[in-house]
Amino acid sequence: MAENTYAVQMLGITKIYPNGIAANQDVDFCVREGEIHALMGENGAGKTTLMKMLFGLEEPSSGEIYIHGEYVQLTSPAVAIAHGIGMVHQHFMLVPSLTVAENMVLGMAPKKAGLFIDRERAIALTKQYAERFNLHVDPEAKVADIPVGMKQKVEILKALVRGAKILILDEPTAVLTTQETAELFKEFLRLKEQGFTLIFISHKLNEIMQITDRLSILRGGRFMGAHDTGAVSKEEISRLMVGRDVVLSVEKQPAQPTAPVLRVRDLEYTNAWGKKMLDKVSFTVRRGEILGIAGVEGNGQKELVDMLFNLSRPSAGTIEVNGENILGLSQRKIRDKRVSLVPEDRMLYGIAGEASIEENLIADRAHTKALNAGPFFRMRKIHALADALVRQYTVLCSSARQKVSMLSGGNIQKVVVAREFSNDPVLIIAQQPTRGIDVGATQFIRSKLVELSREGVAVLLVSADLNEVMELSDSLLVMYGGRIAAYFEDTAGLTDEQMGQYMLGLQTQSQQEIGRVCHE
Amino acid sequence: MNKTRQLSFRLVRGTVAILIALLVAMVLVFISVEGDSIADKFSATAGALRNLLIAPLFDEGAGFNLKRLTDILAAMIPTIFTGLSVCVMFSANEFNLGGEGSAMLGAFSAAMGAIYIPFAGLASFSVGLATGLHILLCLLIAAVSCALMMLIPAVLKAKLQVSEMVCSLMLNYVVMYVIKYLMNTHLADKSKGLIQSFAFQPTAQIPQLVDNGSKLSWGFVIALGFVGITALFMYRSRWGYAIRMLGFNKDFVKYAGIRSGSMIVLSQLVGGLLAGLGGGIIMLGRYTTFSWGALPGYGWTGITIAILAGNNPIFVPFAAFFMAYLNKGCDLMATYAGVPSQLIDILQALIFLFFAAEQFLSRYRQKLVVRSAQKGLSAGGGKEARADA
Repeated sequence: MAENTYAVQMLGITKIYPNGIAANQDVDFCVREGEIHALMGENGAGKTTLMKMLFGLEEPSSGEIYIHGEYVQLTSPAVAIAHGIGMVHQHFMLVPSLTVAENMVLGMAPKKAGLFIDRERAIALTKQYAERFNLHVDPEAKVADIPVGMKQKVEILKALVRGAKILILDEPTAVLTTQETAELFKEFLRLKEQGFTLIFISHKLNEIMQITDRLSILRGGRFMGAHDTGAVSKEEISRLMVGRDVVLSVEKQPAQPTAPVLRVRDLEYTNAWGKKMLDKVSFTVRRGEILGIAGVEGNGQKELVDMLFNLSRPSAGTIEVNGENILGLSQRKIRDKRVSLVPEDRMLYGIAGEASIEENLIADRAHTKALNAGPFFRMRKIHALADALVRQYTVLCSSARQKVSMLSGGNIQKVVVAREFSNDPVLIIAQQPTRGIDVGATQFIRSKLVELSREGVAVLLVSADLNEVMELSDSLLVMYGGRIAAYFEDTAGLTDEQMGQYMLGLQTQSQQEIGRVCHE
Repeated sequence: MNKTRQLSFRLVRGTVAILIALLVAMVLVFISVEGDSIADKFSATAGALRNLLIAPLFDEGAGFNLKRLTDILAAMIPTIFTGLSVCVMFSANEFNLGGEGSAMLGAFSAAMGAIYIPFAGLASFSVGLATGLHILLCLLIAAVSCALMMLIPAVLKAKLQVSEMVCSLMLNYVVMYVIKYLMNTHLADKSKGLIQSFAFQPTAQIPQLVDNGSKLSWGFVIALGFVGITALFMYRSRWGYAIRMLGFNKDFVKYAGIRSGSMIVLSQLVGGLLAGLGGGIIMLGRYTTFSWGALPGYGWTGITIAILAGNNPIFVPFAAFFMAYLNKGCDLMATYAGVPSQLIDILQALIFLFFAAEQFLSRYRQKLVVRSAQKGLSAGGGKEARADA
C-alpha cells in the first residue's frame, strides 16, 4: 500500500512529562484512511498521551506527525481540528447547563445581527447533522438531562460539525450499557462506510475484535506493533498487551490458611451513572493465604477495593476485618485495624511526589507514639526507620531524604510497598502491585507478598496481570460484570484458556461453586 | 532532575523575576520623573534608582545609615509574622487570604487588652513582672481571637467545601468594619480629634531595642523566635508534617489515614494565630493608642514574602527584609525623586506574578527534565522509566 493512504502517521514519538516520566518512547503509530483502528494497551500504557498529542493537547518531546501525508505541528486542539481531527474524550467535554444544540455550536455559534446566538440555526444545524449521520439527539434538551448514550452522540456530532474526518474515541464504551454499546458500534460502522477514519482506544478485547480493522498495541509507553485484527488471536493480543511472555516464577510453599480475616458479604454498588458496578459480591480471605481477583479491568475490581477502604460507600452489604465491622470507618480507623493498601495508581494515591522518601515512608505512622516525643518527631528514630526500610526493600536512591518523584517507577512502588508491608498488617490489599514497573522490582514485590502471606498475613491481590494473579494466588476469584464469575480453590493446573472463558464472560460457575469462597 | 539542578533552576527563576520587575519599575520611573530633555530624564531615573536600591542603607558620600537599617528591621516585625502565617496555610494548599484581617484583629484585641485589663496594682508591686505578664496576656488574646476568626473559613472548607479563599477574603472586610464600628461608637477617646482609643497602659508596651525613633522593639526578637518555632512545627512535628503532606497530595494523605479535615482546620488556625500575633506585637511595640481605620497591608505583603520564601519559614526573614528594603527604597524615591510611592505595589505585584506563574520559564525547566530523563534512559534505566501517566 502506498505511503499516502495513511490518514495519520506518528513517527518516533517520545513524550516526557514535566515530572520526568516517559509516557511514550519512540512510538510509531500509523492509521490508514477509512479504517477503524484500535489503539490498545493497559491503563498507563500511554494510549491517552499519544492521542492527546494527536489532538494538540500535548506536544511531543520528539518525533513527527503527518496527517494525510502532510507534516504538521499540532500545537493546539484548534490546529488539530483545522486538520480534520476530532476527539471524543472519555469524560465528556460538554456544558451540562446548555442545550444539545448550544453545545454543538460552542465556539462557532451562528450569529444574529453579528451579536446574538441564532438558536434556530443552531438547532437546524444540529438536526441536519443528526439526520445525516443517523445519530439521533434532541437538540433542545439540556445536556444535564439526557442519558449517557446520547451525550456520547452529542460528542461525536460535535466533532463532525467541526469538520472532523479523523475521529479519536477515548474508551467510548467505558460508561455505556451493553445495548448502548451495540448501538454505538453500528454508528461507527456507518461512519466508516462514509469514509471517516476512526481511532478507537480500548482495552476490551471483545469490542476490538468486533469492529476494528487493524490494531496497534502499546505497552509501558512503547509500541508493540500493528496488526490486522483478523490475523491475530485474542491470546496473542493479550500477550502483547500485558507481556505474558516474561514469566516470573516465585517460590511458594503451599498455603495453610487458618482463621478468616476479611469477610465481605453481599456487597453492591451502583455508580453515579446508574450502572451497577458490584452485584452481590461475597468472599472471605483467611490468614496465610493469597486470594487473587482476576478479571478484565472495569469489571468491578476497582470499585470493590474502594469499598474496602471506604473511598466510596456501597449501597448494600457488609465488610468485616477479624469479626469487626470496618464499613464506614475512616481510613485512619481502618488502618488502626492493621489493614494495608497498595493503591492501584501509585503516583496519585500512593505517594506525595514532592516529599522525601522518608516522609512517604512514615505517612501511615507519623502520629504514633514510637515516632513522637512530646510535640516533636523523634528524628533519629525516623531516620533509622527510613534507612532500614530503604535497605530492606532495596530502594535505589542516593538517600532516604531524596524526593520520591526523582525515583523510577519501580523504586517508587518499592517505597509504597515498604510502607504498606512494614506496619505489621493483618490484611494487605494489593491493587495492581507491579503495574508498569521493571522486572527486578516486580520480582521483589511478588516474593515479599508471598513471604508475608506465609507468615500469616491475609492478602487480597487484585490484578489485571493474568500472569501475576495465577502465579501468586493460592486461590482465585474471577470477576466479570460486577459479579464473581468463578472461584478456583487451587490455581494449579489452571490454564489461560479456562481463565479467559470466565474473564470474558463466556462462562460462569454455579452459585454453589462460587459460594465456596465464603468458607462457611 | 536532581536536587542541585532544581535548586539552581529556582534561583535562576527568582532572580529573573526580580530583574524583570525592576526593569519594568525602571520604565515606570522613567515615565513619571520630571525632566525637560531625554538626558534629564535619564539622570533623574538614575537618581531615583539610586534611592530605590542603595539609599535604604547608604547615604550619598556619608556611608552606612544605621537609622534606616533599624527602620527596615522594624518594618519587618509584622510581615515576618504574616509571612510565616501564609507559609503554614499555603503549605497545606489552603489559600487563605485572611492574614490582613487577622493582623488587624490581632492589633485591635491586643490594644483592648493593653487598655482595659487592670495591671496597675501589680505594677505598683513589680513593674517588670507586670509588664511581662500584661504583654503576654495581650498577645495571647490577639493570637486566640485570630485563631478563632480563622475557624470560620477553615471549618466551612473542611465541612462544606466552601472556598477558603473567597471566604477569608470577605472576612477581612467584615473584621475591619466591625472594628471600625466598635471604635467609632463605643471605644473612641472622645476627647481627641481623631478616631483613636484611649492610651495603652505602660505595662502593655513592648520595650524598644534601640532608642533612635525607629520603633525597633523587642518584637523583632520575638519574630525571629517564631521563625524558629514555625520551622520546628512545620518540619519536626507530626502536625506540620501532615500539613505539608496535605499540600503535596491530598489523596495520598487520605489513603495514608491522615485526618485531612483536621489538618485543613489546623493549618488555618495556626495561620490566624501567627498573623494575629504579628498584629498584636506591632501594635504594642510601635503605638500607644489604637487608631487604625483600614486594613494594614501586612497580610498582602505576607503573601509575597511566603511566595518568595517558597513557603519555607527559614527563608521568611530574608524575604521580609527584601520587601522592607524595597518598601523603604520606594519611600525614599517618593520623597527625593518625586516618584509616586505606589510604585511599591506595582513592584510587589510584578514579583508576585512571576513567582506565582507556574509556567514561567517552564520551557527551560522542561528542557532540563528531558535532558536528565534521556540521560537516565540511555544509561540503561530504560526499563524502569516506564509510563505512569
